[in-house]
Amino acid sequence: MITMRDLSITYRTAARSVPAVRSVSLDIPRGRITAVVGESGGGKSSLVYGILRLLPPGTVLSGSVDFDGMELTRADEEEMREFRWKKAALVTQGAMNSLTPVLTVGYQVAEVLRVRLGIPGDEARERAVELLAMTNLPAGYAGKYPHELSGGEKQRAVISMAVSCSPDLLIADEPTSALDVITQAEVIATLVRMVREKGMGLLLVTHDLPLALSTCDEMAVMHEGRLVERGTPSQIVASPSHDHTRRLLSAFGLMARTGS
Amino acid sequence: MSGLLFSAKNLSVSFHSTRGNVEALRKADVDVAVGESVAIVGESGSGKTTLLRAGLGLVAPSAGSIMLLGSELSECESRELILLRRRCGYIPQDPFGCVPPTLNALDAASEPIRIADRGNRGKAQEKARSLLVELGLDDPALWKERVRLSLSGGQRQRVSIARALSLDPEFLLADEPASMQDAANRAEVMTILRHRARQGMGLLMATHDLPLAAAFADRVAVMYRGAVVETGPSGRLVENPLHPYSMALIAAIPGIGKEIKPPQPAREWPFGGCSFAPRCPFRTDRCREAPLLSPVSPSRSVACWNAREPGR
Repeated sequence: MITMRDLSITYRTAARSVPAVRSVSLDIPRGRITAVVGESGGGKSSLVYGILRLLPPGTVLSGSVDFDGMELTRADEEEMREFRWKKAALVTQGAMNSLTPVLTVGYQVAEVLRVRLGIPGDEARERAVELLAMTNLPAGYAGKYPHELSGGEKQRAVISMAVSCSPDLLIADEPTSALDVITQAEVIATLVRMVREKGMGLLLVTHDLPLALSTCDEMAVMHEGRLVERGTPSQIVASPSHDHTRRLLSAFGLMARTGS
Repeated sequence: MSGLLFSAKNLSVSFHSTRGNVEALRKADVDVAVGESVAIVGESGSGKTTLLRAGLGLVAPSAGSIMLLGSELSECESRELILLRRRCGYIPQDPFGCVPPTLNALDAASEPIRIADRGNRGKAQEKARSLLVELGLDDPALWKERVRLSLSGGQRQRVSIARALSLDPEFLLADEPASMQDAANRAEVMTILRHRARQGMGLLMATHDLPLAAAFADRVAVMYRGAVVETGPSGRLVENPLHPYSMALIAAIPGIGKEIKPPQPAREWPFGGCSFAPRCPFRTDRCREAPLLSPVSPSRSVACWNAREPGR
């Protein structure tokens, strides 16, 4: 679905240039879960915002990102607006805090359907209830306000917004970092089920190596803007080829030894 | 009981709002001995932070008692309370809110020493410098930077830990002390705290990270909805959890070659009794009555009617 070749992203300020992503090539197939793992500052989020072209003005983007024949690096703003939500939707770490506090959750999901797909009000409201139900939020939730939901419930409401336009790709950038393990398990199970049921691709960006290992079909490790390792979770655990991967594994191994 | 630094018995705390009372702690029992590290584990809202705050007398209990460093908190006057707290360290959950933003890192780390009058500025800074270095903030340029302007969340948290350790506490209460650290730093920070505990400091830490608790605490107390539902040596509790909620917590942990299993969603349970019953796959009619935390072996206690039956 996505074929990325030699993507580089460099942020520019008046004083200097900061390369965030350096010549990354990565394929993200439909119907599979691809994880991008690395430490803070490793370029993971920049990669996501590069795909969605949500980078600050003046940022230099080079290389190519092909999405089913559409070259994203050269698309104009109008094409990108059509691309976001309908083709690729984003769930971020703070997504649950991006809900508007003064509108009900059902209204906010319906709004995406009305604005993006032109679905009329009544039908959009019904569809919103169905979408919320898909993430295990029963009918009563559509009429609730964000403050009446727990963190995990809000995150699931945001997932139902993200899948509302049936995108081909769902991008989840640290979707559970703010949540406890039980709530994380519920949110991850929801994401995995959406991907399997709808045949979407999922790009899961996380610093949590165990989470990536137990969730994804294929993973990529980023370090200092470069992609240093790719493979299936079992390949990477069995024979990590890059020092940074080995360091990450041992840092977590210390804790996983008694934990699993 | 002379070896206990901290002992909460039957501790209940309720918060009042216009919508009614919220019971943040329900008859919780937790002990910490000299040189022992105890982790309180549970999901968000289970009462971990309230337990730590009540432990320092920052929240008044509605029932039960707290013994801190030999003193019964309910009998302490405010001056005594202040002196008791100075013998303790506290790492609050939010490193953005708890480190003075206008100070530089060095002054923030040395401030407690000066407030408690345990040394002049020079001595305080010397101590703070060695703590910051120990915690991996070894760049002198960083010490002079204002906390607000230049420190990341993880760095602020380490300054907050340095503040808590600056008075060489006899007892440290740590609320998610490594939550903002990446994997490598998390192990380093926790190793430092555990080392202090091995040297005789008591450590009571709240975390939702059970693997972290298992790796760095001697004992784990699992909390659910304000009650301690299981306690035991960390390794054995993780290998062989006895309470169904502990089992659910462990099933939810990601790991290599391990599928993350979400807990069963709540089902109807109009009977009160055990607070975990709505989500419990093993519930029976007996659970209509709330089970108390009771010993099942010399080192382990569980609040579950079914926990004593073998082979479940």
